[in-house]
Amino acid sequence: MITPTLIFKEIRHRLMNFLLAVLAVVTAVTLYIGFYTASLAAERETARLMLSMGYNLRIIAADADMDRFLLTGVPDATMPQEYLQQLADAGHISYNHLMADLQQEIPLGDMTVLLTGLAPEVCPPGKKTPPITFQVAPGQAYIGHRIAQTLGINEGQTLDVRGTPLKVVRTLAESGAVDDIRLHCHIADAQAILNLPGRISQIQAVDCLCFETSADPVQVLRTEIGRILPRARVLQVKSIADARTRQRQMVRNLFAVIMPFIVLACGVWIAVLAVTNVRDRRQEIGILRALGYHSPTIATLFLGKAALTGLIGAALGFAAGTLLALRFGPGVFKITARTIITPQWPLLGWILIIAPLLAAVASFIPAMIAVAYDPAVTLREE
Amino acid sequence: MIALEHVTRSYQTPRGRIDALADVSLAIDKGRFVVVCGPSGSGKTTLLMTIAAMLRPTAGTVRIHDADLYAMSIRRRARYRAANIGFVFQMFHLIPYLNVAENVRLGGSLLPAARKKHRADELIEQLGLSSRRTHLPAELSAGEKQRAAVARALLSDPDIILADEPTGNLDPANETAVLTRLSKFHRKGGTVIIATHGPAASPFADQTLQMANGRLLE
Repeated sequence: MITPTLIFKEIRHRLMNFLLAVLAVVTAVTLYIGFYTASLAAERETARLMLSMGYNLRIIAADADMDRFLLTGVPDATMPQEYLQQLADAGHISYNHLMADLQQEIPLGDMTVLLTGLAPEVCPPGKKTPPITFQVAPGQAYIGHRIAQTLGINEGQTLDVRGTPLKVVRTLAESGAVDDIRLHCHIADAQAILNLPGRISQIQAVDCLCFETSADPVQVLRTEIGRILPRARVLQVKSIADARTRQRQMVRNLFAVIMPFIVLACGVWIAVLAVTNVRDRRQEIGILRALGYHSPTIATLFLGKAALTGLIGAALGFAAGTLLALRFGPGVFKITARTIITPQWPLLGWILIIAPLLAAVASFIPAMIAVAYDPAVTLREE
Repeated sequence: MIALEHVTRSYQTPRGRIDALADVSLAIDKGRFVVVCGPSGSGKTTLLMTIAAMLRPTAGTVRIHDADLYAMSIRRRARYRAANIGFVFQMFHLIPYLNVAENVRLGGSLLPAARKKHRADELIEQLGLSSRRTHLPAELSAGEKQRAAVARALLSDPDIILADEPTGNLDPANETAVLTRLSKFHRKGGTVIIATHGPAASPFADQTLQMANGRLLE
C-alpha cells in the first residue's frame, strides 16, 4: 500500500503545496517553451526581414576594367542609358531605388574633379519614395568642399565646364572622401560636357530583389539582370551583405546565450522546489525509517511525487507556453508567424522526460541524505 | 537479552562536546518490563533510540539476542527494526495525512497484506479506536493518537517495545489504557522498556533504571 497511497494522500493533504510546485514547473516550462518558440521565430523573422531589405547592387558596363574600377570606384567604360529604363520595366525584379550616373575625371582650373552627372532617380511604379541622392536640375551644379576651396567658388557663381555653363547652387560640406572633388550635375549636362550622349557609367540598385525563390538570391539577380542587360556586369555591395549576415548572427548568438540561462534558471527553480519539499517532509522520512522502511521504498515515495509534479507541470507548461506563443507570437513576428509559431511537438517529448527527471533527481539527493542519517537524528531535527 | 557495552553517544555543539550517553553498560533479560527514570536531558531518549537501532553510538556496542545492531548494514538494521522492535514516541509521530487504520498498518512493513489488515483491525479494536479508524491524526485527542501509535508499534508482533514518555501528554485514563496495553504485551513474553520521568509506569516495572547526566546510576 505504501507507495501510491502515500503519494496521493500526501498530495491531497498538502494540496496547495502540490499545486504551487506544479505551478512553478508550469511557469518554468512555459518560460522555456515560450522562449524557445520565440527564438526560432525571431531567427527566421530576422532572416526574412533581412531578405526583404533586398540587395544593393552596382551595375557597370561589362567591358569596364575591373581592376581600375575597384581601385578608383569609377568605371572606365560606359553603357547605354536605356539600361536604366529596361531594368525599371523588368516586371520580375523589385527595387526601391534605381540611380544612374555618368562619371569621369576632368580638369577644372588647376585641379582634377570627378564630374558626376546624375539621372533622375527611378522609383517602382506607383510607389513614391523620397530620393536618396541629389536631384540636380539641368544647368545647375553641386560642388564638393575641396573644389569650392581650391577654385574659390561660392554658391550662385557660374562655372564654365568645357564650354557648358553650370550655376553652383550648393557647395557641399567636407566629407573627407572623394565627394570633396566631385562636381554633381544633371546627366544630360554631363553627357554634353563629356560628349557621351545617351551613355551612363553605372546604375545603383537599392533593395533589389528577384521574385523567384532561390537559395542564392544574389546569383538569381545576376542571371536575371544579365538577361535584361546583356552588356552589363552586376556587383553586390558587400557591406550590406555583411551587415545582413551580422544581424542574423547577432540574433542567433543572442538566443544561444540566453537559452542556456533560461534552461538553467528553470532547472534550478524546479530543483529548489523539490529540495524544499523533501526538507518539509524530513519527519516523515524519520518515521518511516523508524518503522523499518528502507531507502528504496522511501526514495520511491519522493521520486514518485517529484516525477508526478514534473510530469503534470511539464504537460501544462507546454500547453501554456504554446498557447502564449500562438496568441502573442503573430503580433510580434508578423511575417513568419504562420509558418514558425506552431506547437513544437518534438520538444514535448523531451520536456515530459526532462522536467520529471530533473524534479526527481533534485528530490533524490536530499531524500537520500535524509535517509542516510539515523532515524533518531532526522526526528530530533524536527 | 539486550546488552549495551560501554555505550557513549556524543554530540558536538558550538559550546563543546556533550555526552548524551556516557559509557553506559547494561543488560536487560528477555521478557522484562523496565522503566528508565530520570530528569529531562538525563539521556533516557538517547538510550532508547540507541537500543532501537535508530541512533548509532559514538562508542560501544549494542547487542540484541547476540546480534550487533550497528555492525549491520543500514538496510539490514532497518529490517531488523521492522521485525523485532516497536517504538512508541512521546510526540506520537503519526503520518498526518493517513487515517488511524492506515497509520497503524504502516507499522508492519514486513507482514503480508492480509495478515497486516487483520492484525491492525484487532489492535484498533483492542485499543478502543474502532470509531476513529478513518479519522486523521488532527481529528484525534492526544490519548487516541498515542493509542494509535501503540497499535502501530504492536502490529508486527515485535519482541521488544520501546516507549519514550508514552504517557507524557495523556490524561490519567489514557495513561492507564496505554500502560495496561503495554503490560499485556509484557505478560505475553515481550520486553518493554519505558523512559519516563513520572511514577505512573513504576507499578508495572520489574526493573527500574535511574539515569542522570547520560549515566546509569547504581
